[in-house]
Amino acid sequence: MDVVAGSLEPLPRRVEASVVMRAVGLTKSYAAVAGAKGSGHGAVELFRGLDLAVHAGEMIAIVGESGAGKSSLLHLLAALDKPTAGEVWCGEKKLNEFTADQAAEFRNRDVGYVWQFHYLLPEFTALENVAMPLLARGTGRAEAMEQAAFWLGEVGLAERGGHRSGELSGGEQQRVSLARALVTNPAILLADEPTGDLDGKTAEAVFGLIQRLHDAHGLTSVLVTHSLEFAGRCGRVLRLRDGRLTEEAPKSIDHEFHG
Amino acid sequence: MRFEFFIAARYLRAKRRQAVVGVITVISVVGVAAGVASLIIALAITNGMRRDLQERLIGSTSHVNLMRVAADGIKDWRPLVARLRGLPHVTAAAPGLWEEVLISRGPRGGGGLIKGIVPAEERTVSDLLQSIKQGSADALEPDAVERTEADLAQAVPPIVIGQDMAESVGAKVGDTVQVISPQGELSPLGMMPRFRKFQVVGIFKSGFYQYDSSYALIRLADAQRLFSEPDLISVVSFKVDDLYHADRIGREIAEAAGEGFETTNWMQQNSELFRALKLEQIVTFIVLALIVCVAALNILIALTMMVMEKTKDIAVLMSFGVKAEQVRRIFVMQGLLISVIGTALGLVLGYALSWVGGHYPFPLNAEVYSIDHLPFAPRVWDGVIVAAVSLGVSLIATLYPSGSAAKVLPAEALRYE
Repeated sequence: MDVVAGSLEPLPRRVEASVVMRAVGLTKSYAAVAGAKGSGHGAVELFRGLDLAVHAGEMIAIVGESGAGKSSLLHLLAALDKPTAGEVWCGEKKLNEFTADQAAEFRNRDVGYVWQFHYLLPEFTALENVAMPLLARGTGRAEAMEQAAFWLGEVGLAERGGHRSGELSGGEQQRVSLARALVTNPAILLADEPTGDLDGKTAEAVFGLIQRLHDAHGLTSVLVTHSLEFAGRCGRVLRLRDGRLTEEAPKSIDHEFHG
Repeated sequence: MRFEFFIAARYLRAKRRQAVVGVITVISVVGVAAGVASLIIALAITNGMRRDLQERLIGSTSHVNLMRVAADGIKDWRPLVARLRGLPHVTAAAPGLWEEVLISRGPRGGGGLIKGIVPAEERTVSDLLQSIKQGSADALEPDAVERTEADLAQAVPPIVIGQDMAESVGAKVGDTVQVISPQGELSPLGMMPRFRKFQVVGIFKSGFYQYDSSYALIRLADAQRLFSEPDLISVVSFKVDDLYHADRIGREIAEAAGEGFETTNWMQQNSELFRALKLEQIVTFIVLALIVCVAALNILIALTMMVMEKTKDIAVLMSFGVKAEQVRRIFVMQGLLISVIGTALGLVLGYALSWVGGHYPFPLNAEVYSIDHLPFAPRVWDGVIVAAVSLGVSLIATLYPSGSAAKVLPAEALRYE
């Protein structure tokens, strides 16, 4: 599949509103495991009236301590989970009211999700992995492969399409995973510590790639990261603390990183 | 569906992280193949047995018998037989006078059915005269020279009896047997049974105990004389061109014969035998279908283990929008692929071995089994039924594991990875 990066029109984006994603009064609590330490209070409350608005074209970094609920927040934004209270909107769609099939449809068409681990399917080639979301929605194999080849080119792996995940390095695997998240041209890219499992140099390369694609394709991105350095390079930084998001100036974060 | 098939086929081909899953998958395929092949071979043998039995049975008996409802005999039968012989689907017709009698030789005797026949015509509807093993049926042919009634009354007429009857009364070719008719004649001492001596000129063996132990053939004229029914017959036997429609053709014959007639056919006469054969075939099918059920259990185990192994991958698929129903179909398809491969192999193996069995006969002891080789008669329709059962049972086996796969919660499954 000889598709040169940039030579193919990406798929049309379904959400073009200025506020791409909105969370209003979000609460999420988990029932405590019986007998577990601290279960005396009945339930663990992760968020308490959390509000968030993600504008088109923004690159937001969410930082916070381990266990603060960063990944859980992304799960709610990706309709992988439902809030206990509050609402999550993507454009005109209210995620809370989705049925399981509507949530799957939403994840397939409007969200690109990158996990901390690449989670590529080992039985399939890099090209097939990238094409998978399109094949799942019934796109013809030729068209899906063409789009997949385009995005593999965009992440700099045009020549590695025929390789299986086991034949790729950690950084390459995460780049394939990024291409898979973007192949549907989603309204929003959600990345849960995309560099968390990579060494410093590779992490820098992958983060740089995300930044470049964000700018080149006008993406809207929300990244969870432990790296204050990477967070400092995002347009907005939100700190999740005590179940709420507080805005922090990217420069202050950068300063915090550099001491 | 193409997406689900794409994933299922690749999962099946891929090397397993857990080798045991791959081993169980192979065992499942082999199990299904063995079950299907066994079923095909067993059904081919039972079909072959049934076919051989049916052929011999049909050879020994007529397809349709016409008689009077009142059992008062058929008078003026010659024009009737000639007319019925011309009916559509009727290929041959023969007159007969049948009566139940007692046949004895000295102190040994037994009940039987005596058939007064015209050999030349009887041969067109039954092969009994061709299955004579000792002596011959030539003496049953009508005399070339007309003899007087007195001569006939003095002579000992010929009789052909079945082998089992010959053994039970202890008669050989050339011996004389006494035929006693319950249709007695009135004498000053009351009702006396009618009896007459017959000379055994031939012994037949049809292979059917019912015939070989009770049938006896004599000339029609001798039968009429024995039962004092001059120029009367009790039965017209027919061969028809489509023996599986003997029922319908029999009704047409009865209608054409006129009022007061009824017919029976070979299926009605042997219904218990064929019912028993059918029952045997069903029992064989059920017993061997258990092999397929065991193979389906292997499919269930293989799929359940695969779902456990693939939980993370299922969650990943769902995270980019694969629906629960699609996940279910992936694993249903995987189970069905195992079944389809096993069934296809089983069908090929089963039909190939049946073909070999049909072309290179497997010898049997004819004394014990009454056939000298194992008959194979594979049928396409059996393959269709066996394949449908195999796929159906396998489909049921996929329901639990595929249902478990569809219930995976992606956020939960990946949270602790």
